[in-house]
Amino acid sequence: MKKIMILGLIFIMIFAAGCSKKAEEPVAAASNELVANAQEKTQAADDAFPTKNISGIVQWGAGGGTDSLMRPLATLAEKHIGQSIVVENKTGGTGSIATQYVHDAAADGYTLLMGAENPQLYTMLDIINLTYKDFEPVIIIGDETVGITVGKNSKYATLTELIDAAKANPGTITLATTGKGGLPWSVASYITAVTGATFNQVPYDSDASARTAVISGECDLTVAKIQSGLESHLSGDWKYISLFSKNKIEKLEEVSLITDDYPDFDQFLPWGPFYGVFVNAGTDQAVIDKLSESFMAAFEDSSYQEILASFNINPLGIKGEEAKTYLKNWQLNTAEALYKSGSITKSPEELGLK
Amino acid sequence: MSVLQYLLVPIMDIHLLILVSIGVLSGIYIGAIPGLSGTMAVSLLVSFTFGWETNPAIALMLGVFVGVVYGGSRSAVLLNIPGAPAAVATALDGYPMALKGEAGRAMGIATSQSVVGTLIGIVVLACFAPLVSKLALKFTSVDYLLLGVMGMMMVGSIGSKSIFRGLTTAAIGVLLGTIGMDSMTAAHRFTFGVTYLLPGVNYVVAMIGLFGIAEALVQITTKDIQPIKQKIDKIVPSLDVVKKYMPLTVRSSIVGVLVGALPGAGGDIAALLTYDQAKRTVKNPEVPFGEGAVEGLVAPEAANNAAIGGAFIPMLTLGIPGDAVTAVMIGALTIHGLKPGPNMMTASPDMFYLIVSCLFIASIALVFFGMTGIKIFTKIVEIPKGILLPIIIILSVVGSYAINNSLFDMFWAIGFGVLGYFFKRYDYPVAPCVLGIILTKLLEENYRRGILLNKSVSGLILSIFHSPISFSLFALIVVMFGTQTKTYKKWKAARDAKADVKAV
Repeated sequence: MKKIMILGLIFIMIFAAGCSKKAEEPVAAASNELVANAQEKTQAADDAFPTKNISGIVQWGAGGGTDSLMRPLATLAEKHIGQSIVVENKTGGTGSIATQYVHDAAADGYTLLMGAENPQLYTMLDIINLTYKDFEPVIIIGDETVGITVGKNSKYATLTELIDAAKANPGTITLATTGKGGLPWSVASYITAVTGATFNQVPYDSDASARTAVISGECDLTVAKIQSGLESHLSGDWKYISLFSKNKIEKLEEVSLITDDYPDFDQFLPWGPFYGVFVNAGTDQAVIDKLSESFMAAFEDSSYQEILASFNINPLGIKGEEAKTYLKNWQLNTAEALYKSGSITKSPEELGLK
Repeated sequence: MSVLQYLLVPIMDIHLLILVSIGVLSGIYIGAIPGLSGTMAVSLLVSFTFGWETNPAIALMLGVFVGVVYGGSRSAVLLNIPGAPAAVATALDGYPMALKGEAGRAMGIATSQSVVGTLIGIVVLACFAPLVSKLALKFTSVDYLLLGVMGMMMVGSIGSKSIFRGLTTAAIGVLLGTIGMDSMTAAHRFTFGVTYLLPGVNYVVAMIGLFGIAEALVQITTKDIQPIKQKIDKIVPSLDVVKKYMPLTVRSSIVGVLVGALPGAGGDIAALLTYDQAKRTVKNPEVPFGEGAVEGLVAPEAANNAAIGGAFIPMLTLGIPGDAVTAVMIGALTIHGLKPGPNMMTASPDMFYLIVSCLFIASIALVFFGMTGIKIFTKIVEIPKGILLPIIIILSVVGSYAINNSLFDMFWAIGFGVLGYFFKRYDYPVAPCVLGIILTKLLEENYRRGILLNKSVSGLILSIFHSPISFSLFALIVVMFGTQTKTYKKWKAARDAKADVKAV
């Protein structure tokens, strides 16, 4: 009995100590500001950022593609930023929970959104009324090449054969997707917009299950990132028949590009899922600059470049205006294709993208 | 020869031995706290071991994985709060044993079964991985649907005396399971415009509320419950006991490995299915199921640990994760420069056998840590309720927050706690409700996929008769259902009576 009481007391003391430490921090920050004279006040605040831990909110689950890219980047950026970056996963609703959460947090640079391309589609699909326009980019890390894959025993050796078959008998070719708004769904919309072919879309709960469905022959095709499909291609469990890209990939020299068969795709490329770190709109520019600097330094670290290479990510490393233009083009481009194919009902004008 | 060399690497390396053991020990405690999951622990380790060599990093993660799966049984037995969904079935008979003062014996049996289950899983992984992965690939959406239906049959086994009450809570579970954004069409269901309802109800949160918080509330409102004095003399089960249950252990482990190897189903489903089949097939258990039957502990504990080896099969042969933890491990291996996928067994056989070997070490470590800590653990049940219950409630709330760092999940857990309190007060079983939430996604999505793939409902039904796997599963369901009907029971009673007469 006595032991338990003592244990309880120790817990309370630790807890109290933790609280008082937190309480001291803002006081320290405030006195720093007092020391600085009036003209240099804002400058002092910038130098002071960050005075406490930064939290990084990952849109997708632990161990996923986004998570695996963000955790090492955060570990490296910490050294440049001088404070810890605590990475947390807040999943659900195609990443909308994390997006909403960061948007609801104060625009002070202490809450980062670590996400993929998904928020760019939220308003198109009526998921939530937020896109990356409501955020400021800190860094866009890179994007990924995707390709169209079929099972190893597939009747279709090329994309043209597949699309001709889909056009001849609409709805007979089954496409494994990851649900509305997912990668295979988006690329299928591009294909419909350009070629007019339609598929029987069967949604699975993750890209791994969609991959399983094609490898096992339950579905005819899917669209997969090089990161997730390369090993199965090299072993012959399935094969890439076309790359959704203008440029060849070193390890997939023999696979043709989609523009070889259908030059009309050229207007939509380059296109691919991307990854980036964002802060809430309205964050002080000096704070954004400080964050961008630190994350760029982490991005350029050779150990991080190795990670990007092992995940087959095309490095971008852009920030500021350049990143905003990239985001804007990506979204407009996608909206046009989705609208043209009939996958979404709102035009790019109605969505306010033009 | 080289295989043996690869297998011996971790055994000869004291660092790896220690890391696996530390992993197992900490895994047991992490697993025992509801809400702290293996996925969470392993993904934290990915960041933590980022700068390490590959082998030690993987060794630590494997140790934690094995420890966590086992640890879930601890809180299930002692407090009627499963540490993880895979331990829900363990609570059904484990907790009644603790109420009789046999918590030590229950944990001893859980430990021995977990170890045997893990070992069987490892053997299947090491020897039959390519074969099992081929079988797992043959599972279509329709088969997953049938598996879900089989899971639903559990309601009959875990309900209270009245099937109606079990069905009621199961239906509530299914209904709650449909809340949130539909992953197939992005449509919002029962979210009332609230963004934070989009992810829906997490079944771990439901489990924490319905089991943990509800149990605490019930005990708070029941006067004069004296802590049960626990017997701690017969903790380590004798070899005879282990031998006695061996056929059930082996059977459950094999189901565990196979279900674990399916990318769309894991240890939780395996544990529930094997509990159900144990209850249906074991004739004359010493103690009836639900009141502390040892068999009810043996089956799920063997199955959920055997599922570990199973989960690695699709990961190492196809690069497809068998469950959430192996999904994180694929990421970890990639960060360390390996290429988990179909080529891994040929390109880096050393890693394949390192995983096999570390899992083996982990199961040995489980014997030590599992058996030695029991005496202290049983003391938990003897803590006065005034101290224990608030701690349970705090742990439950913290655990539900920790799953997804979500304040909303905390509200859900408390809501489920109140719901569970009324369930228990009016003698409605809570387990079917959790079962309903777990199975909704499996049932609904695979039903819809089945229709999309076969064009119509009749096409879906016809397709059952085209595939041998679907047909076997379907036949099993018919048998399971048929043997529960009154006509069959009457016929069987008449036949048994006849046989008795003849024998005389």
